[in-house]
Amino acid sequence: MLVILLMGALLVVKGGTKQKQFRISVPEGASVVEYDAAGAETTPGTISLQQIVGWRVTSSEGEQAYVRGAGYSYNANQQAFFGRRTVNKFLDSENLVLVAKDASFIAIMAVGMTGVIILAGIDLSVGSIYGLAALLGAMALRKFTGDDTSLFLSVPVGVGICCLVGLACGAVNGIMIVGLRVHPFVITLGTMAAYRGLIFVISKGQSVGGFPDSFTSGFFKAEVAGTYPVPVVVMLLVGAVGMFLLAKTVVGRQVYAIGGNETAAKYAGIPVGRVKIIVYTLLGLLAGLSAAVYLGYLGAAEPNAGMAYELKVIAATVIGGASLMGGRGSAIGAVLGAIVIQLIDNGMIILEIDQSYNQIVMGVAIIIAVVIDQAKARLAPKG
Amino acid sequence: MADTNHNEFLRVEGVSKRFGITQALSDVSVTFRAGEVHALMGENGAGKSTLGKAIAGLHKPDTGSITLDGQQLKLGSIDDAFAAGVRIVHQELAQCPNLSVAENLCLHDMPRGKLGMVDFDEMVRRAETLVHRLDPTIDVRKPLGGLSPGKRQICQIAASLEDGVERGGSSPRVIVFDEPTSSLSIAEADRLGEIVRELASQGLTIIYVSHRMGEIFSCCDRVSVLRDGKFVATNDVKGLDEATLVEQMIGRRVVTPTGKVQSEGGEAQALQAASGLEGDHPHAGKVVLRARSITSPGKVSGVSLEVRAGEVLGIGGLVGAGRSELLAAIFGLDPRATGAVEVEGKPLPLGDVRSSIREGVGLVPEDRRHEGLFFQLGVDENIVAPRMPLLANRKFPFGLRRESEEKQVVSEKIKTFRVKTATTKSSPGQLSGGNQQKLLIARWMGHETKVLLLDEPTRGIDVGTKVEVYKLIREAVDRGLAVVLVSSEMPELLALSDRIMVLADGVCTGTLEGKDMTQTNILTLATREVGAT
Repeated sequence: MLVILLMGALLVVKGGTKQKQFRISVPEGASVVEYDAAGAETTPGTISLQQIVGWRVTSSEGEQAYVRGAGYSYNANQQAFFGRRTVNKFLDSENLVLVAKDASFIAIMAVGMTGVIILAGIDLSVGSIYGLAALLGAMALRKFTGDDTSLFLSVPVGVGICCLVGLACGAVNGIMIVGLRVHPFVITLGTMAAYRGLIFVISKGQSVGGFPDSFTSGFFKAEVAGTYPVPVVVMLLVGAVGMFLLAKTVVGRQVYAIGGNETAAKYAGIPVGRVKIIVYTLLGLLAGLSAAVYLGYLGAAEPNAGMAYELKVIAATVIGGASLMGGRGSAIGAVLGAIVIQLIDNGMIILEIDQSYNQIVMGVAIIIAVVIDQAKARLAPKG
Repeated sequence: MADTNHNEFLRVEGVSKRFGITQALSDVSVTFRAGEVHALMGENGAGKSTLGKAIAGLHKPDTGSITLDGQQLKLGSIDDAFAAGVRIVHQELAQCPNLSVAENLCLHDMPRGKLGMVDFDEMVRRAETLVHRLDPTIDVRKPLGGLSPGKRQICQIAASLEDGVERGGSSPRVIVFDEPTSSLSIAEADRLGEIVRELASQGLTIIYVSHRMGEIFSCCDRVSVLRDGKFVATNDVKGLDEATLVEQMIGRRVVTPTGKVQSEGGEAQALQAASGLEGDHPHAGKVVLRARSITSPGKVSGVSLEVRAGEVLGIGGLVGAGRSELLAAIFGLDPRATGAVEVEGKPLPLGDVRSSIREGVGLVPEDRRHEGLFFQLGVDENIVAPRMPLLANRKFPFGLRRESEEKQVVSEKIKTFRVKTATTKSSPGQLSGGNQQKLLIARWMGHETKVLLLDEPTRGIDVGTKVEVYKLIREAVDRGLAVVLVSSEMPELLALSDRIMVLADGVCTGTLEGKDMTQTNILTLATREVGAT
């Protein structure tokens, strides 16, 4: 949290400002006059623009003046004034929503990854699950919906198939990790390659697009006040549900117990294998959900969608305070971690730094996060 | 060395050490003689280990001085202490089990041959000169991990005997043993005692940090007692009785019925007296736990037992006899175990911990750090862990916790079992060893538990807490709990058990009752050769 505030402050100060246009509509039934240097009022459009000093709007609510020198202009056709104002590049609401939106794809998966990391496990295959779910979801949408399918069919189909695919992939990971007793790193390294391979086999390298509007602009890319908030809302919901599951359910607490001390968990009668399978399955499910949001937002599934996402997702989780040694982490931390990662991306654009440096900065950020985490662990009392 | 004062060979003066808010040592002064075995005793947290480590240079005291043979040691410098001839044998076995004994002994300074390659012959020769001084049967070429804990301990002592001369220092003159027998069997501990005496007779000063009473009396010359970081007294062991020593350690008098404490069974009586366990306990009732021919390949074979409500069945035997393994098999932790277990006549499926818990069986494991506690969770969740699923609303996916009920269980148990913790959310890591142990016992004890399997319930905790734990166990037993107790501490086993079953090599070699329950009988059964059947 502190990191986010610090980064935000840095970007606010260093990011500088830009000019932004805004619009003020003339109220219904109001009269507009323009006036010149002498104060003589005329109907708009009578005198030349250079002569105009300003406009006066008279309505039932009173009188309002707009001075041209302050940057206002009047458009008679649109019945509106246009002004300019200076905004902070970073603090601008559109930019903030953009950051949140971009963070949401990662954050949704990071919430699931937090569970896995708390277990002292890891899942490298999230990016591939995300890609595979998006592809199969896209194909299902193509097959079962038409251009004018309503939201009530297209969304369940798209989200349902994506989530189902993710769930199945996650369950396969979990069952193999528990059943074969192989370290999750190895299993998911294998499935990362295998699921990705499956994407190329099925898609033949082509992207799949052309979904009903009800799935894209009608839902996941619905516009509200010039922004697209649906992915952000999904992210916040997932974060909230994740927090609840980890803190308030038995399985949630058992995840912490197993990650902290697996042997002791067995001695306490915790069904270690079952909890592990549940957690990997839920991560798969969330990768599928994230894929659905991505499909709806971008309107197509690319064969290389989600490539290298495992890095970002794990980074978000770790930056959010989860310990790779297991036993510690939180869903809200994962969401914040994803936002930090997106802030790095966004900040480099705002600060006009070459995008090539992006990966370096992120790599360093991960290492710093882990070093801080370990320093904290060292300072904490030992058992 | 001729003109040294042998009575004050090593002088510790006014040493204080603070860790955070804990004053581990305050103004401690002790003198050690050359050629004596000098024990440091005290309850956990009394500062005995800290003092030992300060002498070896592992801890840097805040104030005070340490003088060896008239020469002042640089405080907190391992190198300086080593050069002066001070060695330490650690509590935990810090070695590489995958490497050979010889490699372990030469890790810090591998002998090089031509081209900088390791000279294995030289390494083996060096290792043998060290190890065979103590135990000629150890093959230094074999991996260390293949040796018994006792032999590994011997290797570690051997390492401390290494001559420091070629590293610009002195040959060993003082050896600090930090809880050397905590992972050893009785026979191994006896052998260690002999080694310690032998080293002392060669003129070495041995500082022996321990809280095992028996060892102090069998192999030490003098004993210094610490309490709460302060020096209490130095006693000659000759003429000292256990009650006085216990009194010095815990700061109050333990009244024993016989007045004078005898060596055999004496400590058990003292413990019984302190915990109010004297007299016969009515063997209440019906059989609660019945286990038949429990077998686990290579560990336990065909052991049967019965425990009644209100009864403690002790399990005796040496380390490696299969005692812990027997408990694990009954509890359902061993997937390869066979046999039959019944709780109140109801058969339990073997290998399923959760159904054992549901039927009221609990297990307090031997190793609380690795098998018991969750250090990232609070004391509250540590206590309630096995009960959480039973308390929860299981209709809800993943089980919705009922936190108010959990809280009630936790606060009740913390009170009943007197777990001292700052808050219920504190990590168990912040608790003392004794309180960690009480926490684990609290986890499993309660009206829901009918059978409690206790594996070394007082390992590594101080005398005061031990007595408290015994009382808690006895109270629960008197209320009708059935207990199976595994303990390597003979006095504890004798004091708590109503009957004692002895295992050797995974086989039951006999069950002792009443007057037959003596240390000698247990040891006889425990060391009985089990023929290849």
